[in-house]
Amino acid sequence: MPQLDIALFAPQIFWLFVVFTILYIFMSRSAAPKIADVLKKRQDKIANDLNAAEKLQARAEEARLIYEKSQADARSNAAAVVLNKRDELKALAEAEYQKLSEALAANADEAQKGIDAAKNKALGEVRDVASEVCADIIAQISGLKLDSDTVSKIVSAKTDAATKGDS
Amino acid sequence: MASPLEQFTIKPWGPALEIAGYDVSFTNSAAAMVATLVVVTFFITFGMRKNALVPGRWQSGVEMCYEFIAKMLGDTAGPAGRKYFPFIFTLFMFVLAANLIGMIPWLHPFTFTSHIAVTFAMAFFVFVGVTIIGFATHGLKFFGFFVPDGAPWYLLLILVPIEVISYLSRPISLSVRLFANMVAGHTMLKVFGGFVVSLGALGGIFAASAFLPFAFIVALTGLELLVACLQAYVFAMLTCLYLNDALHMH
Repeated sequence: MPQLDIALFAPQIFWLFVVFTILYIFMSRSAAPKIADVLKKRQDKIANDLNAAEKLQARAEEARLIYEKSQADARSNAAAVVLNKRDELKALAEAEYQKLSEALAANADEAQKGIDAAKNKALGEVRDVASEVCADIIAQISGLKLDSDTVSKIVSAKTDAATKGDS
Repeated sequence: MASPLEQFTIKPWGPALEIAGYDVSFTNSAAAMVATLVVVTFFITFGMRKNALVPGRWQSGVEMCYEFIAKMLGDTAGPAGRKYFPFIFTLFMFVLAANLIGMIPWLHPFTFTSHIAVTFAMAFFVFVGVTIIGFATHGLKFFGFFVPDGAPWYLLLILVPIEVISYLSRPISLSVRLFANMVAGHTMLKVFGGFVVSLGALGGIFAASAFLPFAFIVALTGLELLVACLQAYVFAMLTCLYLNDALHMH
């Protein structure tokens, strides 16, 4: 077995020492720091990106809250405006109604007066017509030519009594 | 027919060199070590040449190795073991590349981890280094490592020698594990390869039956690839555990 030849130990161990030392120096001076650096950079980048994403998310959340708040404000403002306008319009409508109904009432009063006047006038004329008709009837029946004033006096007395009885 | 152990023969490449009376000739073993050094350096340098924030496949491979060892070290030895990371990483990559390079078929380079001299040298270095770290961290209290907590004094008479022996046998078990796995795997491959050749030489029905050992070689190659990675992992893992013992005692 060549492994047990002690004479061959020295060259193997010597070259092992040389090669391993060179590799160790390469690893500790160049390779390991370089790899560690890349890994750390990546770690930092990922951490930074995550951090930035978190910040942006927080800002977005803030913006969302502001937006929601302004929307709610706008909504309540709109509701208030609508309510105000409605009250205003209601008041206006009531005022108009009031005015209109007053005007109508005034008109109605005037009309009533006109009617009353017309009625009185008509009643007065009815008296005249009645006395004439009465005089004609008396003349036809009795042949008496009565003075129209007398007839009208009698008729008006009768009608007054009748209207008094009526009312 | 060559012995299946012939693949482990160390042959000098170039002239015999000597330093202070010791033979330091450049051999096929040394060539395999240099090849391993080149492959690992190339793998990492070219993997990290772009230093990309979003890694490509190659860079991902390098980072995966790095993070694998970093996580293993962190899990076993905690934050105190961090400064020994370059050593553990070098150890892992060196053994892993050596084992895998040794598995390349046909080219069949030398597997220097199949030599106890190499594995023991590494294990002994780890052992000595870890012991020094233990004493440097805890001073003479590190001897308390050999005294199990809460054992009555008469049991300590037995337990302390057991602990000391188990501690001292660490470099042996660490080195023999890697060495034996590599030797066994490569010997098996060679043995079954020899079957294929000798059955093929017989011709006829025997040559056809050479299919069986060949299929076995294919399966064994897969297994040996697993063993190559696993043993590199085990070597690095146990080094981390020993380091943890030195840093935190129990």
